[in-house]
Amino acid sequence: MIAQQVLNEWYPVAMAAQIRAGQRRVTQLLGQPITVDLQKGAIVVTGQGGALHVTEAFGHVWACPGTPAHDLFPIPEALEPGRRLVDVGVVRVKCSPLRAVENFLDIAHFPFVHTDVLGAEPHTEVNRYEVQIREDSDEVWATKVTFYQPQAAKSAEGGIVTQYMYRVPAPTAAVLYKTCPNRTDAWDVIGIFVQPLTEELCDVWPWMALYDDVTPQAELIAFQQMIFLQDRSILENQIPRLLPLDPGMEIPTQADLTSIAYRRWLKKRGLTYGAQMVAA
Amino acid sequence: MTPRWIATGLSQDLPKAVVMAGHWQGHDLAVWRSATGRLQAWNDRCPHRGMRLSHGFVRGETLACIYHGWVYGADGGCKHIPAHPALTPPATITVASFACVEQDGVIWVAPADMAGAPPVLSDLQPLRSISLTCDVAAVLAAEPALQGQDILRATVQIGEQGQQVCLVAQEGPAGLTLHALCGVGADKVAVSRWVEDLRRRAEMKVAA
Repeated sequence: MIAQQVLNEWYPVAMAAQIRAGQRRVTQLLGQPITVDLQKGAIVVTGQGGALHVTEAFGHVWACPGTPAHDLFPIPEALEPGRRLVDVGVVRVKCSPLRAVENFLDIAHFPFVHTDVLGAEPHTEVNRYEVQIREDSDEVWATKVTFYQPQAAKSAEGGIVTQYMYRVPAPTAAVLYKTCPNRTDAWDVIGIFVQPLTEELCDVWPWMALYDDVTPQAELIAFQQMIFLQDRSILENQIPRLLPLDPGMEIPTQADLTSIAYRRWLKKRGLTYGAQMVAA
Repeated sequence: MTPRWIATGLSQDLPKAVVMAGHWQGHDLAVWRSATGRLQAWNDRCPHRGMRLSHGFVRGETLACIYHGWVYGADGGCKHIPAHPALTPPATITVASFACVEQDGVIWVAPADMAGAPPVLSDLQPLRSISLTCDVAAVLAAEPALQGQDILRATVQIGEQGQQVCLVAQEGPAGLTLHALCGVGADKVAVSRWVEDLRRRAEMKVAA
């Protein structure tokens, strides 16, 4: 039995361009079979009980199997002129959708998992940053995050101290804002949209909105896929597969403030699909 | 279930400064050898975020988690958290240890409080470990000459000669592993082929 508050959220289910190109997608959402296809020019998501609520945003199709508790979150930067929007594609991961989001919010793993790209020893220290749950938007935010990176982006030359902001606007979506190597007055925006197939299996759709007129599209996608495949080697080897919300099960430190806030936020809102409530 | 020693690998497959996955009766283990050769078997889970320590890396006398680089010393205690280099980790952050003994070229594991030593396999030399998709009963059915339950022994005709063969069984999450040993001075290649043939015959018993 899936909690109503889980059913009332929005989840990514497809890349919009693929559906518009006539590729029907037969998949799962929260353990139930669904089909995403084009009917009379409109994208339709059909489950066993009929049509689901559908919206299209950030290159992806989003569905809500219950009654939407709110509109899909905005990413205002996606509308800024001059940005390149990059749909990276899909990566299937044998883990809880919540573990995939939590890993995206983590910086301390950069030197060990994305060695010599997003981090490198001995630059391992995570400086104190700020985390809050914003009451107005009901989102988790981490700000004033800084980290030394050997190659922060495809367009970066040499190491820089990168600034980050992280945002969790939906239980299975996260967006980060990071220093843009080409511009001092703007952030690069990268999201991951996670489709919960089941509690222990997900499809992850990375997405980017960058200021980068130079790098070929294929290289941007290859860079982001390399990063996420490195993450997958971690995500498929965490025990348990479900994200533990029992505070005794895992040991966070100050570097994990975003993860702590994310877990609390999920627990408080009852968004426990993919979570383990008590130690097994 | 009575606690007992289980063979989880051969010494020759675990060089210095290397970690590998091991199992003891349903428990996943990280079995590792330090730079100076000290052998340890730990619970295969970093207490920080649950990552398997068997995916980690050995540096000197420590094992580090591949996810965030947390460093664990010989006593299983966390010695260093790279995200907070100046912090002395609390003594409460530890990884549970198992008993781990190397004997006759075989790595044996048991619960930490296990009394006694593993079975002695004298006059034998380690050959190889091999994975099977069947159980021990199928192996015994395929080769009636084999005697024993967990340690299967036989003298079998390989080529012109009778050869001593010893297969130490280990049940893991992915099925059965046999750690094979043979008589000292035996033709290792010939015995190894015989073991592969035994696997084929045992797995066919299941298929049939």
